[in-house]
Order: sequence, then C-alpha cells, then structure tokens
Amino acid sequence: MAERRTEHLMGTAVTVEIRDRVVPYRAIEHAFAWLKWVDRRFSTYDAASDVSRLNAGEIGLPDTHPIVREVLAYCDVLRAGTDGYFDAHAPLPGGVDPSGLVKGWAVDVAFAGLLRAGAQQLCIEAGGDVRVAGGPWRVGIRHPRQREQLAAVVVLRSGAVATSGAYERGAHVVDPHTGRPPVGMVSVTMIDHKLARADAHATAAFAMGSRGPVWSAGLTAMSILTDDQVLLTPTFCHLRA
Amino acid sequence: MKRALVALILTAAAVAALARFHAHPPRTLNLRAAQADRPAVRAAASRARPGVRTATGPPMMTPFSLVQVRVTLTDGRLTGVETVALTGDGPHTQALNARAEPILRREALRARSAHIDTVSGATYTSRVWIQSLRAAIEAARRG
Repeated sequence: MAERRTEHLMGTAVTVEIRDRVVPYRAIEHAFAWLKWVDRRFSTYDAASDVSRLNAGEIGLPDTHPIVREVLAYCDVLRAGTDGYFDAHAPLPGGVDPSGLVKGWAVDVAFAGLLRAGAQQLCIEAGGDVRVAGGPWRVGIRHPRQREQLAAVVVLRSGAVATSGAYERGAHVVDPHTGRPPVGMVSVTMIDHKLARADAHATAAFAMGSRGPVWSAGLTAMSILTDDQVLLTPTFCHLRA
Repeated sequence: MKRALVALILTAAAVAALARFHAHPPRTLNLRAAQADRPAVRAAASRARPGVRTATGPPMMTPFSLVQVRVTLTDGRLTGVETVALTGDGPHTQALNARAEPILRREALRARSAHIDTVSGATYTSRVWIQSLRAAIEAARRG
C-alpha cells in the first residue's frame, strides 16, 4: 500500500511519499542511497568530499567524479540563464559551492529512478522543496511569518515547487554582484517541471531583490515582498487552489 | 507581549550560542557567511578605550529586514550586545510595483490554513541573528 519515509540527509529532512497500491520498496532504498552518495561527494561541510578537496586545492577538476563535473557545468548553464544571479561561486569566494543546485538536481534524479521503478503517485519533499507526479497534489506555500499558516496553495498534477528566501539555514543567498543579502524580498516561490531549475530560478529571483518579480514574469512564480505585497505571474495564478 | 517573548527567545538563543562559542570556537561552516568579503564589516572592529573592543557582524537577511549585531568586549569578555536593524527598501518596492503592474497580479499577503499534501518554504529561526552575533564576536576578538 502507500508508503511514506523520511530520512535526514543533505542537512535537511527528505521525505518520499508514494500513494500507489504497489510500492517499489527497493527503489525507495536506492533513492535514499543515491542521495547519501551525492551528499558525500558534494558536501562543503565534509573535508573529504570532492567539492571540499577541489576548493582546498588538493585535487583538480579533472580528478573529481564525472557527476561532480556534470553538476558544475549545469551550474554554469544556470548562471548564464539568470544574468549571473544564480552563481555557485558566490557563496564561497575563491571556491565553488554548488549546494544551491545539488539538492534539487539529486532529487530530480531520485525521482526519475522511482518513476522508472513503476511509482506513479509520487512526491519527494526535501527541506521545503517539492517534486510531485501523478497528482493532483495540493502543495501549500508556507506563510513567511505565521508558521502554521499558508500564504498560498497550488494544485499540481506533476512538477516541482521551490521556495527561496531568508531560510532556516541562515542567510545563504546573497546578490553575487554585491556580496550582500538582497533587499525588498521576503521569498520567491517558483514552479517548474524539474526541481533543479525551479530551485535555481527561485534563488536567482530572490537574489535580484526588487528586480526579481519582473525578471520572473515569464515563469511560474510568486514573490512575497517586504511590504506584505504578493506578486503572482499569470501562470502561477492558474495553478492556485 | 509577543515582542517581549521574541526578545526572550533571542536572548536565550544568544546565551546558548555564546556558551557554545566559549566551549568550541565556531567551525568554518557557521562562519562562512560571515567570512564573505565584506570590507566594511572587517573594518568595523574598533577600540574605544584600552581593553574595550566593539565590532559589528555582517548584515543578515531576516524575513522583513536586514539585521546586524554589534558586540562590545571588555578585556575579552562580552559586555554588550546590540541589534541594529536595517529596514527593507520601501522606494525600491514602490518602483517595482509600478513596473510590475501590467504583467503581474498584485495582492496583499494573507494567511490561511487548508488541507494540503505537502508544503514548500522553510521556517525562520533566530539562527540568522546568531550568525551575525558570532561574526561580530570573532571580529571583536581579532580587532
């Protein structure tokens, strides 16, 4: 029957939920094993990870795992696509910190694996970022100040929802052009097909500060501003419950 | 009342943070944000009189404002903590609203509860404030 499992990794809680009659239990194990493997390769908190050793100058880029190089290349693509506002080099001057992309990307890969294993009604939630398939899934977007309340609810058949803002883990988003936290914005929620893109775009739009909402006008986005105003793009309005 | 409660929680958190600070110097991961290149902050440590050092932590984002924490150390002991709040930029937001009007739908932030399957967006804690505090203490000790 249905299965819901939570594990703590990547510095957050990851929940896999499958609402099918037949649950691919082995594939769930594989999904968590994959996320743990990624965590070990990419963690900036673990001195033995590829990314830490790369930043410490112990190894060069060609010595890293091919998957690390793939993610770093993806970071560069997203950097170009966001006017430089999604920048894996910004959090760590002189080094690289792809953690802004890794979580969403790794969840996308795990998600694809579960779909291949036959999962149909599937939801993965990782530290406030969500990817779903086989909906309708009702996804709440947390109110920025009233913890038990929601600022909005969207209904998705499939897709990803990512929110970037002044987060639980601290002010990890800075404007890469100024090195300072952006002003004017409380949070940006982005909906896309894949979590990696949604997450990177939400981070970029948030980092842009008050220019973010206009930049995101062609995407599916909700921006909450410091003056308690909410700006929604047309496609976001369509998905609201 | 609510404000007093928040202040109390922040104070408790600060005490906890300070206790940890004395026992274990903060690891790099906690200070990474603070160590980003911010020359203004690095230069913020100053000596008013012998044995007294003050320093200001880097600006940190909270949901509705920027926060900076200023600390005073007297002979290496913490004798003062002051929170300097910098507000968000109203004029920017107004300019944005004017530009965004034709494309984006604008409404007031509301709070609601509803049946949902999952939730996006993280909660806010005082960790941002503690980070700024730690950075300020670090800067004061160096200064």
